[in-house]
Amino acid sequence: MRYSDAADYVIDDPARGEFRVHRDVFSDQDLFEEELKNVFEGTWVFLCLESQIPQPHDFHCARIGRRSVIVSRDGDGAVHCFYNTCRHRGATLCHTERGNRSVHVCDYHGWAYDSGGRNVDIKDRDFGCYRDEFGEENHDLVPVARLDSYRGFIFASLNPDVLSLEEHLGDARTCLDLIVDQGPDGMELVPGRTNYTYDANWKLQLDNGSDPYHLTSTHRSFMRIVHRRAEGKSANTQVESPDFQKRFAMPAGMFTFDRGHSMIWADHPVPENKPLSGTMERVRAHAGEVRAKWMLRTRNTTIFPNLQFNDSTSLVLRTITPLSVDRTEMQVYSFGPIGEPLDLRRRRVRQHEDFFNVSGLATPDDTLCYADCQDGYYNLSGDWLQGFQRGMAAVTHGPNDPARELGIAPATSVLGKYSMQNEMAFHAAYREWVRLMTLGRARDQRLAAE
Amino acid sequence: MDHSALLAAGVDVLSREARYIDERQWDDWLGLYLEDAEFWAPAWRDDDTLTDDVNREISLFYFESRGGLEDRVWRIRSGQAPALTPMPRTAHHVTNALLEDGATAGAMTLHSAWSCHVYSLRDKSQHVFFGRYQHDLVYADSDWRIKRKKIVLMNDYIPGMIDVFCV
Repeated sequence: MRYSDAADYVIDDPARGEFRVHRDVFSDQDLFEEELKNVFEGTWVFLCLESQIPQPHDFHCARIGRRSVIVSRDGDGAVHCFYNTCRHRGATLCHTERGNRSVHVCDYHGWAYDSGGRNVDIKDRDFGCYRDEFGEENHDLVPVARLDSYRGFIFASLNPDVLSLEEHLGDARTCLDLIVDQGPDGMELVPGRTNYTYDANWKLQLDNGSDPYHLTSTHRSFMRIVHRRAEGKSANTQVESPDFQKRFAMPAGMFTFDRGHSMIWADHPVPENKPLSGTMERVRAHAGEVRAKWMLRTRNTTIFPNLQFNDSTSLVLRTITPLSVDRTEMQVYSFGPIGEPLDLRRRRVRQHEDFFNVSGLATPDDTLCYADCQDGYYNLSGDWLQGFQRGMAAVTHGPNDPARELGIAPATSVLGKYSMQNEMAFHAAYREWVRLMTLGRARDQRLAAE
Repeated sequence: MDHSALLAAGVDVLSREARYIDERQWDDWLGLYLEDAEFWAPAWRDDDTLTDDVNREISLFYFESRGGLEDRVWRIRSGQAPALTPMPRTAHHVTNALLEDGATAGAMTLHSAWSCHVYSLRDKSQHVFFGRYQHDLVYADSDWRIKRKKIVLMNDYIPGMIDVFCV
């Protein structure tokens, strides 16, 4: 059966300690189409980093759900974002992921636009016998409704009716600060991209990115390889990976924020393994003692709906793009401080390749488990998942002591031992999902009534 | 040794490597590599350029010794990796082998094209990875062994899983 209300697909009853998500949220084609419109085109979406387009006329092609957009820095240094489609016949303008162009010329009939999106040439216009009214029309590339950035992260919204980016991020900004402040001279993507797809809904990655519970089962072979290395049974000595099993008795927790964002955290069993540990003196001076301590913890951060960081040994930046209800594209980069000493950068690179790469020892195990879940949703629909309950009895509404230490006011907090492996961070995303889907349906009904 | 004899010896190593992987003769496969052999598949930096500094840039695979490959073989044999259970079937095709100038009876470099068909039993899907190889071989212990292998993967838009036996 289909529910008339998006809110009916999520049972969220804190008073009774209940949180359930319906399987169809991951597999229903109509809900997926609504998600593209109401979630990806209804709120702020991460596009790229300012450092990916540092020079005048640099551009980067990004996706907002199914839409393709060009993020471009004009000759004066201002950043713009417009739909990647020519105003003349609609052809896609830009086919490379990034580059530098002061003028974008359409392959089809040669209309040209400058790096600010302004139309600078309509080929053979003078011979075209256009009516005067044509000259009065705007021929520039169509900009997105809202564009803003926070500490070098560029976001856009196709919906004009959204909070400011700062309000949208709220105290999740601190989670981003804990990443950006690792680089006193700024942060950079380590060159070398990984693009991959998986055969499941985009929210499988969203959840898995803040799921401490799957590590010891999905990644059992990785953990055993780490043991073998520690015991000297492996001849592979090029990568330093901590034994995360040791974390079980250590403090851990999570925060959720309004608008879908969340962060899970845990004490790091061997913080010296983190490449960051080698530059901590400067980082402490730059960011302060408390934040420096938090940077050495493992932290997985989700900025709803498409940006995730996993900061366990090295730091990974992931973007999530839905392709269809059961197919998702991932872009994954290692992220590190600008000017990082070579030995630390090498360690960062090896750790990233070992675990996070799609060619690594962990990610393929995740992607195939996502596909298994998707198959399961088709196999048995109409049921409620039981994967949103771990940690339910440990939730604090509002901030707890770790939150107060960081000076943030999360919507919910958890503090306990890592062995709890709580699933509470997922709730933020589904609460926001319900909010955006409900808003979108109300907007549609209002438009239909008009 | 003349050029054609060297080339034939090199092609024999390439063909044996493909066979050992496809027939899951992992010890024989590892045996082709010297202990300090480098195994490297750079990532793409952008549409046109590959990463070329293994210490400052990301590779799809970079092992500075055979130990990296041995970890992978251990994982295959462990039966504990969802991505490798059941183990995908593969068929490697290695062609167009060319001998680089300067080959001797003790060392040679071969350039070739490769494709690898991967059949996933988990979801009955199949995919072809393809690209180019460079093999640096040395003659040691009465056989040609791999001193260094560089793999360029042309189609780096990867459907969920790629591992050392897929390239």
